[in-house]
Amino acid sequence: MSKSFLSSVFALLAIAHLAPAQDARQIMLEVQNRTRSKTEHYEGSLEVTNSSQKISKKRWQYDRLGSYGNSRSALHFDSPAEVKGVALLIVNHPDRASDQWMWIPAEERDRRIALQDRSTRFFGTDFSFEDLEERDVDQFEYKLFGEEVVDNAPCWKIQSRPKESKGSQYTSSVLWVRKDRYFLVRTDNFNRDRLIRRIIYGDVESIDGIWTARTVGVLDNVRNSRTVLKLDKVKYNLPFKAADFTREKLSQ
Amino acid sequence: MRWAATFVCTAVFLAHAQEFSQRGFVAVGGNVYPQTFPIDSTQAIGGVLAHYEPKWRPRPWLAFHASFEVGMDSHQQFARNLHFDWEDRSLQRAPLSIRELAAVFTTADFTITVGKQFIRWGGADFLNPTDRFAPSDLLNLADQEILPVTAARITYTRGDNTFNAVWQPEFTPARIPLVEQRWTFLPPTYYFFATQDQGSAFPGRSPFGARWSHTGASCEYSLSFYDGFNYFPNFDVQINPAASRLTYSRTYPSLRLYGGDFTVPLSRFTFKTEAAYYTSSTKNQDEYVLYLVELERQIRETHITLGYAGEVVTAHGNALQYLGERGFARGVISHVLYTIDPSRSLRLDAFIREDGASSIVNPAYSQSFGNHWRATVGFAWLRGEVHDFLGQYHRNSFVKTELRYSF
Repeated sequence: MSKSFLSSVFALLAIAHLAPAQDARQIMLEVQNRTRSKTEHYEGSLEVTNSSQKISKKRWQYDRLGSYGNSRSALHFDSPAEVKGVALLIVNHPDRASDQWMWIPAEERDRRIALQDRSTRFFGTDFSFEDLEERDVDQFEYKLFGEEVVDNAPCWKIQSRPKESKGSQYTSSVLWVRKDRYFLVRTDNFNRDRLIRRIIYGDVESIDGIWTARTVGVLDNVRNSRTVLKLDKVKYNLPFKAADFTREKLSQ
Repeated sequence: MRWAATFVCTAVFLAHAQEFSQRGFVAVGGNVYPQTFPIDSTQAIGGVLAHYEPKWRPRPWLAFHASFEVGMDSHQQFARNLHFDWEDRSLQRAPLSIRELAAVFTTADFTITVGKQFIRWGGADFLNPTDRFAPSDLLNLADQEILPVTAARITYTRGDNTFNAVWQPEFTPARIPLVEQRWTFLPPTYYFFATQDQGSAFPGRSPFGARWSHTGASCEYSLSFYDGFNYFPNFDVQINPAASRLTYSRTYPSLRLYGGDFTVPLSRFTFKTEAAYYTSSTKNQDEYVLYLVELERQIRETHITLGYAGEVVTAHGNALQYLGERGFARGVISHVLYTIDPSRSLRLDAFIREDGASSIVNPAYSQSFGNHWRATVGFAWLRGEVHDFLGQYHRNSFVKTELRYSF
């Protein structure tokens, strides 16, 4: 066989290999575009069930300005009473992990959440600090794994791996995306081969034209505990100001 | 009281509140000291504290922050005569205290806070040499609190840079231990002298401070400047050994501070440092650098901080100075917090003087019950030698309990 024939075969194989990867990224880009909004607000009620089936409840208010890799989020606890006033500011970046600061009223100052601390549970919930970030599609590499039916809806099954700069606690994630809505319905997060956290997005409805999960369930596979976050009063594109998403404002 | 009246009037005027939130707690607790102290035989102290903290934002650009406390105890660390304390200059805590009462004006880049408020500048965890607007309450040296100050503060934020300027019309001193109690500021030689307190001479000039901070992609740092007074006093003392009598008064020496802090999150741990150079135009006053270096790491549910607090004296003065925070320098410090589950945690704080002359080890267990109740049991174990600032209190180890209802 000639040298040029072999080259052509390798080129075809390379294209065949790259094409699904490109498709997977395009799917995720479409997911991102369809859920993009200028701002978001919701009131979240959380129910945390630990491994001994003990239930604790919390409430927070969430505000976001901007979206996907160029956004700022502020999260303020309303209850229980002893965590009321605790707040978290997340500044998301397009090319690296977010910056996060937590305000604890008893200390009268904010505290930076270091990158190596992002795998820690966020205030007794099963969300880690990293799970509260907004992840830009360009911070991951994607690969189409196949297709599966989840809750009677055909889904793409996509593997994502953080790029080097991301500095994630997860080495990979498997994402299920509904084909009809380009909507993420489930994420399994792995550290090497071990499932760490499963996030399930349910009670999906269209709010202001944006498909929105009104229930987010997080299963911590390591601790065998789970958190259910219910989103109320979801509003998009409210006129927020950048000045309301600063460390100074965390305490207010 | 002027501020209280202003706050209430404004509150009534702007009755159509847009955003109002409140929180608070009632805490009942006590300390049990297994040993008596030479001048203080009390071995059990009980107390109750109610804290209420309303916040009100009548306009998007205007907010009012307040917090009030009502407290009493069995050991007269809270004064027994019922009165409000705005200035926080009294030796005892006031039974009715305005902890915070401030108006906050906000524009796109500026935040102006006027009134009684907490101002924290420091970035480190144990010792904050740059925190000159956060005087300490040291009625219990092993269980310190921070006092608010009355000030006007302007904050300008532009991108990753924040500039902060503070003007404090009236100086707020730290609250040092009471003379006749077990954390007394008297050296052991004078424990059994009759004492006469001739009061404090407070400075008239207004302290001022400025701080610039930068939050970068890989680190954050700040530079700060303070021109005012040391909130820890110097003592003017007259001693009559024949009559075993000691007469003293307090003065607050001038202080100029140049400081900074630096935090860099690395892949394995976070590195923090904070330092300040203290100079003074007051004669016979020490000039020194106080600094802290610490490493911080979270390993699963355990948060660990390990550091060293150091001091370099550049000029020695012979004034009788209350050491205050300097008494916690020249030693290794550590903090470990283990979160057992969302409702239970274990904490271990420790300070060990570099020459072994004193140490404090303070473990505590805390557990919440339901959404409102939390119980905490701890033990502060003090060891040391009598010539050391902390070691002289080696008989002051104590068990601490607290039951708190938050709302």
